[in-house]
Amino acid sequence: MFGYWDALYFIFIFIVSFLLALALDKWAKKSGMGTKEKGEATKVFISGEDPEKEIKGFEHLEGYYTGRNVMWGLTYGLKRVFVVLQREHTGLLTDYVSYLVITTAFIMAVLLIWG
Amino acid sequence: MSTIHTVLPLIVVLPLLGAFSSPILDLISRKLKEAWILAISAGTLGVTGYVFYYVFKNGPLLYTMGATNPFGHANFPIRIVWEIDMFNALMALTVAFVSLMAIIYSVEYMKRDTGLEKYYPLILILELGMLGIVVTGDLFNFYVFLEIMSIASYALVAFRNDTWEGIEAGVKYMMVGALASSFILLGIALLYGQYGTLTMAYIAYKMAGHMTTTAKVALALLMAGLLFKSGSVPVHMWLADAHPAAPSSVSAMLSGLVIKAGGIYILARILFSIYGPSINVRTVGWIVIIFACLTLIVGNAMAVVQTDMKRLLAYSSVGQMGYILLGVGIGLAAYGSNVGNLALAGAIYHTVNHALMKALLFLIAGAVIHALGTRNLNDLSGIAKTMPVTSFAFIIGAAAIIGMPPLNGFASKWILYESSALFNPVIGAIAIIGTAFCTAAYVRVIYTFFGRPNSLTMKAKDPGKSMLIPIIILTVAIIVMGLFPWTINKDFMLPAAKALVNQMGYIHTLFAGGV
Repeated sequence: MFGYWDALYFIFIFIVSFLLALALDKWAKKSGMGTKEKGEATKVFISGEDPEKEIKGFEHLEGYYTGRNVMWGLTYGLKRVFVVLQREHTGLLTDYVSYLVITTAFIMAVLLIWG
Repeated sequence: MSTIHTVLPLIVVLPLLGAFSSPILDLISRKLKEAWILAISAGTLGVTGYVFYYVFKNGPLLYTMGATNPFGHANFPIRIVWEIDMFNALMALTVAFVSLMAIIYSVEYMKRDTGLEKYYPLILILELGMLGIVVTGDLFNFYVFLEIMSIASYALVAFRNDTWEGIEAGVKYMMVGALASSFILLGIALLYGQYGTLTMAYIAYKMAGHMTTTAKVALALLMAGLLFKSGSVPVHMWLADAHPAAPSSVSAMLSGLVIKAGGIYILARILFSIYGPSINVRTVGWIVIIFACLTLIVGNAMAVVQTDMKRLLAYSSVGQMGYILLGVGIGLAAYGSNVGNLALAGAIYHTVNHALMKALLFLIAGAVIHALGTRNLNDLSGIAKTMPVTSFAFIIGAAAIIGMPPLNGFASKWILYESSALFNPVIGAIAIIGTAFCTAAYVRVIYTFFGRPNSLTMKAKDPGKSMLIPIIILTVAIIVMGLFPWTINKDFMLPAAKALVNQMGYIHTLFAGGV
């Protein structure tokens, strides 16, 4: 039966996940030091950027949440990978041609040996 | 001659007629020309729809140019043959549908541009090239249509020649694209030299008992050239330059259609219908799988770090091509098995889905650029408040491309995950990692759209009807296709995959003369 999916499974998984999350929330509130229900603590935390924050004269820099910091953990964690990938994308035509020649040579070698 | 044989050539004749008549109509009235172009494009969709319905009901179709049968008066195939089964009928329908959406969108989107007497003919020539590629059963005819499509693409990428970006991207695309095309031509020449024919099914017939080193070298050249045209890593770099530089209506066609019709479609056709089991399918399959894994990881990862919205979408296209290649690769490596057929069905399904999703996302990017004049993500904060319809459509498109249920992207990706995990769990894991990057890239854009509006985005508003209609139609198509995945897969995608795998059927259609 593979190759088919049933939306009912997703509804079931959603209900189970919701109940688990609810139980976790109740348990955390009960065993924690106390949850702040009002004030600053209720603000949604997104990558450390505060949409309410504005500094007079610097409105263009602060306060407008732009999404640039979302996924900062991922991009920071894989910084070295991204640096290598970006370094390879030189934009030079000669590099594009080199990669095409290398690709052709690779495929030809594999096909001639094992094809 | 039956109705279908009279109607079929219109697939190419209609766009050709539209392309060459529109500059004349432009001299009379711009509105008349736009109405004519829309009628031509809608007519082409009607023809492809009829052909698709015919093939769906009656089986593969053969059309021979200039003769009543593929062999003409001689007793060997010399005529140009068009051979249409479920796979290419589906591709032709997709090409015509997305092209019509891009043309409707262009009426308003390109209103401020000059040089429109060149723009519309080029768009129709691009559509004509793609349709020609998908219907033909002749290798040299395919090459001619490939060049028609490619030259129109180069010109359209550099259409806005008042900026350096378009010119640079167009020239780079043309230079390296011409090299890839020459590899393809060399591959075709080698096959012609070896087997003495250009009819694809007849080459397959002759190759079956006579695989040679020349044919293997030809395959390497064809594969490299077509992987380039598909935007596969590491020969994808032109795509990230060319697709963002073009006007968004063109980007929608380039990312949605050109890399599929001129790349993955013909690659699959050559691998399955011409070479098929004559070559070591496991080796060829693994070559494709290696490129697919690289493509889906690098393409999606590069999308995460982009700040230019269109460049992000272009890299995302590279990533999605990885999934399609993965399905094709597994289809070959597990040739003839259930897993192989399923992977191939997933690849075809994702090809159609991605055409719709990426066309939608590029059209939305165009609407944003049209309203704000920027595509820098850091300047687009809070656009959801001022462009609600566009933003809603973006969420649907992004959710579909990430693969969230119950949208169409989920159905095709799920089939690909399942088949790749069944084939090799490591490959399945790589596919999931690619999706993690894809999700990260699109979540950034969605957060940006729903952020606090800035002074620039406060002035934005949803585009006019001509731009909104195709956006809404594509959004509805994505939602509706997601609601009936089992029916679509069972009735259209699996039969298309089986038609592709059935090499004997492809050869038989040629000899039997089709329906």
